[in-house]
Amino acid sequence: MNPLIALMVIIPITCALLVNLFHTKDKTVKILSIVVALFLPIIPLFTSYGLHYFGGYMTLAQSPVLSQWVPASITNSALNIFHMGIMYSFGSAQQIFIVALGIIAFLAILTSLSETKKASGVYAFLMFMGVASMSAVILTDDIFNFYVFFEIIAIAQVGIVIASKVKGNLEAALKYMIIGGIASPLLLLGIALLLGVTGNVNITDIVYSIKTGLVNPQSPVLLMACALIIFGWSYAAGLPPFHTIKSEIYSRALPHGAALLQAFSVFTLAAVGIVILRIFSYLAFSKVIIIALSLAAMILSITMALMQTDFKRIIGYLAVGELGYIGLGLGIGTSMSITAGLFQAVNEAIITAFLFIGFGTVLYLTKESDIRKLGGMMVHTPKIALLVLLAGLAMAGVPPLNAFQSKLMLIQSSLNAGIPELGIIMILLSIVTFMTFMKAFYAIYMRSKPKGLKISNSKIPKATIFSLVVFLIICIMLGLFPQIVTNYLQPLATSLI
Amino acid sequence: MIIDSQLASFFTAAALIIIGLYAALFLDNIIKKIIGLAFIGDGANLFIITMGYKAGGIVYIFLPDMTVNWFAQNASYPLPFALVLTSIVIGASTLAVMLALVIVLYKKYGSIKASKILGAKQNQETENSIKGDGL
Repeated sequence: MNPLIALMVIIPITCALLVNLFHTKDKTVKILSIVVALFLPIIPLFTSYGLHYFGGYMTLAQSPVLSQWVPASITNSALNIFHMGIMYSFGSAQQIFIVALGIIAFLAILTSLSETKKASGVYAFLMFMGVASMSAVILTDDIFNFYVFFEIIAIAQVGIVIASKVKGNLEAALKYMIIGGIASPLLLLGIALLLGVTGNVNITDIVYSIKTGLVNPQSPVLLMACALIIFGWSYAAGLPPFHTIKSEIYSRALPHGAALLQAFSVFTLAAVGIVILRIFSYLAFSKVIIIALSLAAMILSITMALMQTDFKRIIGYLAVGELGYIGLGLGIGTSMSITAGLFQAVNEAIITAFLFIGFGTVLYLTKESDIRKLGGMMVHTPKIALLVLLAGLAMAGVPPLNAFQSKLMLIQSSLNAGIPELGIIMILLSIVTFMTFMKAFYAIYMRSKPKGLKISNSKIPKATIFSLVVFLIICIMLGLFPQIVTNYLQPLATSLI
Repeated sequence: MIIDSQLASFFTAAALIIIGLYAALFLDNIIKKIIGLAFIGDGANLFIITMGYKAGGIVYIFLPDMTVNWFAQNASYPLPFALVLTSIVIGASTLAVMLALVIVLYKKYGSIKASKILGAKQNQETENSIKGDGL
């Protein structure tokens, strides 16, 4: 048992509570936030792989003292090897996800603190709470614990949007909560059905019950549970029919907040996708639904991005569209495709955060995000323009940047799986993504400056430039050496087949 | 005819979810929508509680005069109750945030009609400037 595993959740929660407590003390909030955020990507690097049992409760088979009090009817059954408490599982894939989440969180928090005159303890609280919950969602092996943190992420996301004070944020937050108020109980109902059939909420035990025939795998109740969990997954990740509200939520947050919000969506998509594959991979229709939803997300979102005039909305839709690539990887269901899908998740979270923070500099200088009212920014911020251009190229999958590698792997795996149509769609949509990005980039940076546009004389904070450079270095590193990540994701992908 | 109390609870849970879905999807009053959402959550919670029900079962507390075998056979399943307790807390906090948002939006729009508040937002698509530094 490794206590450091639990620290990945406990440390950001504790920090969240402290920054909220000291929210009026600007310096304390800043120092505490930056120090703790710096540790977020470091802790998983020094944590050894393994399991963490909350309360120390393992299985009866591993607890001889306890099992002597339990009747033989229980110790002689499968209950003997079922887990008694909440369990966190930390492996190489979880390590990569939490490191990537930690890097994005650190850079988003750093940027937010540098771009605001006075640090907001409440805003930092929401960011840390979201990160803690996201880490828990990645680590937990208990499907109800998963639901609890899933709900906390939703509240933290809404809180970040409310605290951003962008016009229309309250309406978007309420709309998101109303939709969540329908989707979350339905997800809970799916979990309840799983509990009803298997008598368990531990994912490993549920999988064991289904695979060993302790429960009927073709039970209609399990099919219903699968459908409800996939519905909840769509809501959490922003897949259709929730793609519009998800992109709206991103556009109503400040860029550094949006960078973190999209990371939550990406990692939730990957984490819930892994759970769905672990439990329901034997149901062919589950993979068909995943592929259908992913395709719909890609086509609808990227097409809608073309029609937008607000750059935050454009990135929001592109981010949701890119989620489809991850879903396709999971849905194709081969070892290579799942590795590629999870690799794409890491890449997308980093690239979209890169884009949000990069384009956020425009908002910082002009307080404007409508591309029709913007222009001439290349003259004012040529270096930032280059960084943003590279972020856009990374998203479109241009070599030698990271998304090129994951998209290439996805296309290869679709060909290997005998579904070349998916590969063709992925290539076409990458081209449309690039076009959409270039439309926004041209309008903001390359077109001449409109008469009414006021550009602030203040300099872009060094922390923001530092964040962008770090994102670029990661994009290039992962593009040149994809095995840094894929070698870590491969064992999980193989275990899911 | 008296129906099984567990079955009756399942029907009640289904009714709560269906009524809640209707209210959340088709009513224009945001407060009524939120009440509908609370119904859906309560329906899901009742569904989970009902699964833990055992006809003639006892509360899951081991007393000194009980044998382990007898307890294992007669106690109701405690896990659903523990889960529902957490779920109720989450539901209450979500509800509180939604109601707080409605109060603020009511002050802004002078109405609690979804068509006015959420519809008005559509007209703001192009108004994305931020106030001050945003925070």
